[in-house]
Amino acid sequence: MYDPRIAYPTSRRGFLGDLGMGFTGLVLGSMFHRDGIARAQGSPGVIALDYVPRAKNVIWLFMVGGASHMEGFDPKPELTRHAGKTIEESPHKEILKAKFADNVRVVLEEQANGKTRKTIYPMQVGFRKRGQAGIEVSDWWPEVGSCVDDIAFVRSMWTTDNDHGAQLQFHTGRHVLEGKLPTIGSWIHYGLGSMNDDLPSFVVLGTPIADCCGGVGGHGPGYLGPEHDGVRLEVDSKNPLPFALPSHGVLPEEQRANFALINKLNRMSASKYPEDPALRARIKSYELAYRMQTSVPEVVKVEQETAETQALYGLDRDASKTFGSQCLAARRMVEQGVRFVQIFHGSNGGAGAWDAHDNLKQNHHDLCTQVDRPIAGLLKDLKRRGLLDETIVVWASEFGRTPGAQNAAGRDHHPFGFTVWMAGGGIKGGVVHGATDELGYHAVIDRHYVTDIHATVLRQLGLDAHKLEIPGHKRLEMDFGKPIEAILS
Amino acid sequence: MTLCTAILLAAFAVPADRGGDASTIYLDHVKPILSRRCTACHGVLKHKAGLRLDTAAAIVKGGDSGSGVEPGEADASLILDRVTHADLAQRMPPEGEPLKAEEIAWIRDWISAGASVPANEPEPADPRKHWSFQVPQRPEIPGSRPGLNPIDGFLQADHRRLGVSPRPRAEKAELLRRVTIDLTGLSPTKAEYELFLNDTRPDAYVQLVDRLLASPRFGERWGRHWMDVWRYSDWDGFGQEIRESRPYIWQWRDWIVESLNADTGYDRMVTLMLAADEAEPDSDSALRATGFLARNWHRFNRDVWLNNAVEHTSKAFLGLTINCAKCHDHKYDPIAQTDYYRMRAVFEPHQIREDNQPAINGAEAQKITRAFDASPDVPTYLFLRGNEKSPDKTRLIEPGAPAFLPDSSFAVATVSMSRATRHPALRDFEKQGLMAEARKLIQVANKTLASASSSDFHVQQGNVAVFEARKAALVARIDADEAKLDEPPGPEFKALAHRARLAERAATLRESELALAKAQQSLAEVRSKVKPDNAKSKADLAAAEKALADSATALTANLAKPPDDLTEYTAVGPISPSRSTGRRLALARWITSKGNPLTARVAVNHVWTRHFVRPLVASPSDFGRNGKLPTNPALLDWLATELMEADWSLKHIHRLIVTSDAYTRQSSGPEPNVEGHASDPENTTLWEMNVRRLEAEAVRDNLLFLSGKLDETRGGPDLDPEQAMTLGRRSLYLRHAQEKRATFLRIFDSPSAVECYRRSESVMPQQALALANSPLAITCAREMASRLTKEAKGDHEFVSLAFVTTLSRQATPEELDACLAFLKEQAAGLSGVKLPATAKPESSQPSADPPQRAREGLVHALFNHSDFVTIR
Repeated sequence: MYDPRIAYPTSRRGFLGDLGMGFTGLVLGSMFHRDGIARAQGSPGVIALDYVPRAKNVIWLFMVGGASHMEGFDPKPELTRHAGKTIEESPHKEILKAKFADNVRVVLEEQANGKTRKTIYPMQVGFRKRGQAGIEVSDWWPEVGSCVDDIAFVRSMWTTDNDHGAQLQFHTGRHVLEGKLPTIGSWIHYGLGSMNDDLPSFVVLGTPIADCCGGVGGHGPGYLGPEHDGVRLEVDSKNPLPFALPSHGVLPEEQRANFALINKLNRMSASKYPEDPALRARIKSYELAYRMQTSVPEVVKVEQETAETQALYGLDRDASKTFGSQCLAARRMVEQGVRFVQIFHGSNGGAGAWDAHDNLKQNHHDLCTQVDRPIAGLLKDLKRRGLLDETIVVWASEFGRTPGAQNAAGRDHHPFGFTVWMAGGGIKGGVVHGATDELGYHAVIDRHYVTDIHATVLRQLGLDAHKLEIPGHKRLEMDFGKPIEAILS
Repeated sequence: MTLCTAILLAAFAVPADRGGDASTIYLDHVKPILSRRCTACHGVLKHKAGLRLDTAAAIVKGGDSGSGVEPGEADASLILDRVTHADLAQRMPPEGEPLKAEEIAWIRDWISAGASVPANEPEPADPRKHWSFQVPQRPEIPGSRPGLNPIDGFLQADHRRLGVSPRPRAEKAELLRRVTIDLTGLSPTKAEYELFLNDTRPDAYVQLVDRLLASPRFGERWGRHWMDVWRYSDWDGFGQEIRESRPYIWQWRDWIVESLNADTGYDRMVTLMLAADEAEPDSDSALRATGFLARNWHRFNRDVWLNNAVEHTSKAFLGLTINCAKCHDHKYDPIAQTDYYRMRAVFEPHQIREDNQPAINGAEAQKITRAFDASPDVPTYLFLRGNEKSPDKTRLIEPGAPAFLPDSSFAVATVSMSRATRHPALRDFEKQGLMAEARKLIQVANKTLASASSSDFHVQQGNVAVFEARKAALVARIDADEAKLDEPPGPEFKALAHRARLAERAATLRESELALAKAQQSLAEVRSKVKPDNAKSKADLAAAEKALADSATALTANLAKPPDDLTEYTAVGPISPSRSTGRRLALARWITSKGNPLTARVAVNHVWTRHFVRPLVASPSDFGRNGKLPTNPALLDWLATELMEADWSLKHIHRLIVTSDAYTRQSSGPEPNVEGHASDPENTTLWEMNVRRLEAEAVRDNLLFLSGKLDETRGGPDLDPEQAMTLGRRSLYLRHAQEKRATFLRIFDSPSAVECYRRSESVMPQQALALANSPLAITCAREMASRLTKEAKGDHEFVSLAFVTTLSRQATPEELDACLAFLKEQAAGLSGVKLPATAKPESSQPSADPPQRAREGLVHALFNHSDFVTIR
């Protein structure tokens, strides 16, 4: 796909016009876009900040497979009260008549999953009021529960895919059958660019969603072009990125001399071709690549943190070590100006670990043990370092789970009502916004489609979703969403 | 503040920052609002309710409900009423957000100020008159004279007009590298470099071009370009489950490469891709072309599949965004929503299947994935608002071309399908294979019988009987299938079908008898070993007795089965309809007709873009009114007519382009071209050549090629992209799908398999890391250094050879000095250091000798040189 902003060899006017502010903003891809200010001049399709920004960075935590909302952040005692009855037999049978159910778009009819489940299944975990705000959170989330005064819970999310293509949909705003469109991270990268020249600006941690459910499209740039793709990093300083380190027997000092020769030869060419912006960009890219060999492994060195900090993220426990390391690396990244860090939890090569069609109790208990402490640690650590003010943390999953039982002890996919929460970056704390009905079936009050989360995040970063457009690609109203004003401080 | 109060406030107060006379308000504010939100339905394309809002005069005149405005009386004006209406069903515009308070206020201001009509407001042009919808007329070549390349004639006219002097012809070495990579994807070799530089014949360059165009590498290079446009994708899916495109689609890739090498006409290529099964139904070679359609195969959703067929057929061949008319009439082009479904109807009957191919010379047997019309009678309906859940069943949509284009003749004629096409399993090689397999099973069973022990004899005898009965049934089924294929089925079909059913039944009985024999054998065996006191032994005995009884019952049941419907035999394979609708062939003929104004223009624009970087029409998949205008319309039209007059020979167009002055010009010089930059800063007139970066595939292929590691085997199944660092084959043979792509190629902007009408070209540090640290770059550098050391006498000659081989040019004295100094210092620095070997199997070992290791570093640096990835 063609992006007019990077057509440097042909865009002489753009290039010459750009000289005054340094050529990197125009020429270079994902690593180099400086602040939106550089973007705001000189080239077509540019974006000036539309609002006073309240946040600079985003950490986007995504639970792959569909985390249960009623056993997390939207407890429903009515489920326990009417357990074993069908919904028709309960006092809430009207729920089944709601028109909201028409929103669903089924990919494959002959599927065992993604059905209406009518036998009410009781809550599998207790819950209690937490924090000053007294917000009810389940006992599987005690640590996050201790942070509720910094969190705004949106309990009224809905989406349209009843299967795990909803993972892609959560990130692009479109149903999987409509293709792989730009994701929220790519739009932010496109709109704002980077604050750090030595690190990628849109980083993906954890294993991305599997190719059943959107695959690399889940952090992909769609038509925005490859330079707006999320860059996958491993929290492994020995191999954080493909080709990141000298290897294959090349000594560091040997490589330094090789790079010096490359630089020298390229500069000779640059004096021969003074009008070639790509050449100058390439010289710069080699300087940056050389630094990235250090900066990228460095930023993922979570072992440099104090024992206290590591414990805060649960690195001292086997269950939470992996995800904790990713959360801690994410903090180190935003500290250094990485714009958007997307962390996937629960990728298992298929639908995702949170997909508890059976044995939900054990499944969610175990998974919460992996993520509860790291997430709370992240919030607390950001806060004590003064970073929570400028960093939005989003916690989400592609959909919730059915109020009715599936199999012996599970819940099915549920696109009609689920919870997403946000913290930091000018989001109000201690707030519950929206609600599902008494069974947690439909979002009924202040309903929000997934792109409302995008619009909210963009708004806090200073961007108007409607202004993110590139010629030739029509966006629909549903793509833009609306900021959830009620949770903005 | 709610929207309503905003409107109310606006009604009573005109803010200070608005104002001006009515005409200015209209032109600066009202007209842009109306054109953004209203004129798609009330304008030149459509005038719903008889109302047009694209000129002030038309607004005042109004439509079926009377005048749109009452000058001076905003509140009595129809348009203001409709945009502020409280009833959502009445309020305009019907889609999207309501007009903003500020927008409404501007309309109010204009009406209040008298709604005056500006003088000479032009009436918007008839969209059907858009340039690209007119059949191209062959223009005169400006300044035509013998020996002038027509392309230069058109460009020179622009240069004279702009007062620009183009840059001179490029140096021979630069030109050699440019045209060699452009036409073959690979650098010139050192031998080619010397040959060309020493070739003083006046036509040396033309000879070079002819040689390159004749090289089989040409098809691989340009095949990849067209694979972008035609959105080639190997199969994609979840694990091994295929969800999009098909396995064996690589056969289409090979067909593309071969067709380009054979200079098959573009018209024929398009025809075969859309309808080889109707144009040449019995040619396996041609059928491969329908991979273009198989690529759209979608496991879950037929609508997604057909939408892609419609969208990308029209974008790739016609430069039309017909897909925008799926839910409503097109907002820019005169494409009605019906036109979208007329094109869908073309594809509605088709399906994809895989046909076996005979194994050739003992090689692994392959299949062809191909299109065919499976359901000629399936109806097409328009989907209301594009929603597949709301088909408008009151009206059957007939296949056809968009009605607005000058030649919309669309002659659909059904095509008879041969027996072999309808029933590929009955082709001789397939029948022979089935029979050989049946005979082999009997043979093996007989052999076992011959050496069977007495206790095993009955079972083995039964086994032979089963395979013989199956063979007899196969023969009978084949005979019945053959008769069924007759149109109408022959009078003997019923009898043959009956016979086939009986034969199948006989085989079933033999199977039951065999099961019985086996049960008897097991029972005898169990009995011989039975230990009366052992519970397990008893259970075994009981189980064996039960198995015997069950087998006996099953046999009796099979024998007793009434011959109720004895014509229901099992066909040898699926039989497809005897006629194909001919719809796709009709579409292909319409697309490739010389009366189609778009096809040739779109094709030459694609070719032009890949030679010159900058297209003539900057929106290659949208030649409609929302697309870009051609930078040189006469040149585009001349090339388009030339393509058609040259029997759609693409090589003819390539040759014209690469032999033009425009192509052979310097891309830059030591001095800036002041007039060029001033008068034509975007270089649309090509006063200099454009510089570009190697595409992903060319970066990898040239590393392999220069180091002597390239395996030039052509064609064949897609290769594992995870092996990109160690395989020696050209990159176009690596599996390429959205989810399955080589990392190294992705870093260098390999195309999206979903849509890539034009590649993007980025400069990113990941690219630097890939060339600096990948095992491929490192291995290639080591092997090339080792090879060059064998040829070169000293460092000086080594550097010189390395430059010529890698960059096809001599090192400048300055570069030579820098490289010699590097070799010396690096060797000195490395001597005495413990040099590590690599433990990784995917790269070769570095030299243990410091001077040689320094040379490896030098070659590696040249692979990282900007000039290596740049075509000047």
